[in-house]
Amino acid sequence: MVLESKLRPGEAMIRVEGVTKFYFGEPVLRDINLEVPAGSNLGLIGPGGSGKSLLLKIVAGLVEPDRGRVFVDGHDIQALSITDLAALRFKIGMLFQNYALFDFMNVSENIAFPLRQAGGFEEDAIQKRVKEQLELVGLPGIGHQYANELSGGMKKRVSFCRAVITEPPILFYDDPTAGLDPVTSSKIFIHLRRMQQRGGTTAITITHDIEGLKDICDAFAMMERGRLIFHGSRDAIEDCEIKLVRQFWEGVSDD
Amino acid sequence: MSAVASSEPTTPTDADEEPSTGGARALVEGLLFGVGDPIVYIGQTLRGFADVFRRTLIFILQGKIRWGEVVQQCHEIGNRSVIFIMFTLGFLGMILVFQAGFQAQRITGDLRPLGGLFLQVLLREFAPTITALMIATRVGTGIAAEIGSMVVTEQVDAMRMNAAPPVQYLIVPRFIAGTAMMIALVAIAIVVCFIAGMFTALYGFNVNPRTFVNFSFVTYADLMICMSKALAYGMAIPIVAGHTGLATHGGSAGVGWATTQSVVNCSLTVVVLDFLLSGLSYVFLSM
Repeated sequence: MVLESKLRPGEAMIRVEGVTKFYFGEPVLRDINLEVPAGSNLGLIGPGGSGKSLLLKIVAGLVEPDRGRVFVDGHDIQALSITDLAALRFKIGMLFQNYALFDFMNVSENIAFPLRQAGGFEEDAIQKRVKEQLELVGLPGIGHQYANELSGGMKKRVSFCRAVITEPPILFYDDPTAGLDPVTSSKIFIHLRRMQQRGGTTAITITHDIEGLKDICDAFAMMERGRLIFHGSRDAIEDCEIKLVRQFWEGVSDD
Repeated sequence: MSAVASSEPTTPTDADEEPSTGGARALVEGLLFGVGDPIVYIGQTLRGFADVFRRTLIFILQGKIRWGEVVQQCHEIGNRSVIFIMFTLGFLGMILVFQAGFQAQRITGDLRPLGGLFLQVLLREFAPTITALMIATRVGTGIAAEIGSMVVTEQVDAMRMNAAPPVQYLIVPRFIAGTAMMIALVAIAIVVCFIAGMFTALYGFNVNPRTFVNFSFVTYADLMICMSKALAYGMAIPIVAGHTGLATHGGSAGVGWATTQSVVNCSLTVVVLDFLLSGLSYVFLSM
């Protein structure tokens, strides 16, 4: 059911080539070129409305670009059939900015959803993994509750559990710590680091928590008004002289 | 790796546009866009309906049906609409018989065929079409709003990311439940409407119920028309409302747009199907 990798040796796991997107005639993404090598974590930063979440959705194949191509695991995702795209998505976990928890399912069913879709898991094993995930994010015993009974922070953690429960090789996190208290944010980042250290996971993480990002990312990219204004390693971003990048990295403003 | 700046976008600018050649051209262009845009929109919408319908049928033929959800939707669409339909069709039955009786009394004075003719009109037209229009407002808006809010809260994206096709998960159960429940609701509507009409005839025009209950005008063709209309409307409303919900964009304003659009689209679909099926029955059943 999972789509076989077409990755050639040395090829990046995620490759974005000249992606441009217009909304109502206005460009919201302009000629984006990006590479994320297998096993690395790219931190995507930038002001609100700069197009980070849209770019992530284009990479995930949820939104079609007007120009350019996106390759994931060696597959040109615009060229994939609906069936093949669905099969490729078994390799991808995604944490959405707005939680995206199914309101007609309870917490346990939400978290178990990717496992049930993937198939091949015994019900006992599914329940065990759901319980483990909930304990990991500090939410034991809430499996029977529905999304509308949870706070924003709880929803975020449940959404995180759903994204990682299948331990997919590719992970997209859209603001994983937004609305969380510092302790829980720290727990989430520890978990992200652990997944990174385990190896093999390729990730793109969007967050405004630059300090947390510094610990888990190998490379960084910064967007502004739909343009990619920086893409490079940690050393490169520390030495970067672009004003906005420096401000973001150091957390200082003009004033 | 090093810092990179992406190249400038190649987007159309004012400078790229040709200079205007006068008001006449602008008028023609305006006219063409004014006529063309709605045609393109209607074409795209119809293609969207056909695509959702095709995919729904494929999932059903593949047996990818969530029966638990179908039962839940039967309750939502059927059980929760019964009182609404009974009230609406009950009052409609009283109004129709009163008006028909009043006119018959003025023109012929013979009220004996009132019940039989009323039943025929009820089967051919009023029961399925009025029930469908009511369901389009109550159920169609509900489907569009529910799916629309799932789109704007990224739940539909989350389904896609988990290889769960939204049409299979959201529309197939509503399609099956909508089709089955529409037939049941139309049957209930006929009974309620006819009984309401019977009492109106009794108390308004002193027509004996034994005279009113007259099946001599009704044929199997009338029943066939009634059920084929109920079937068509039952299939169309979830498809149209579901497609409208999936086409939602933006935030809560988008959900509002989807809800309004759903009423318009579903009502238009019911009226157009009514016309087509009535025409087909005239051609093939010589009615």
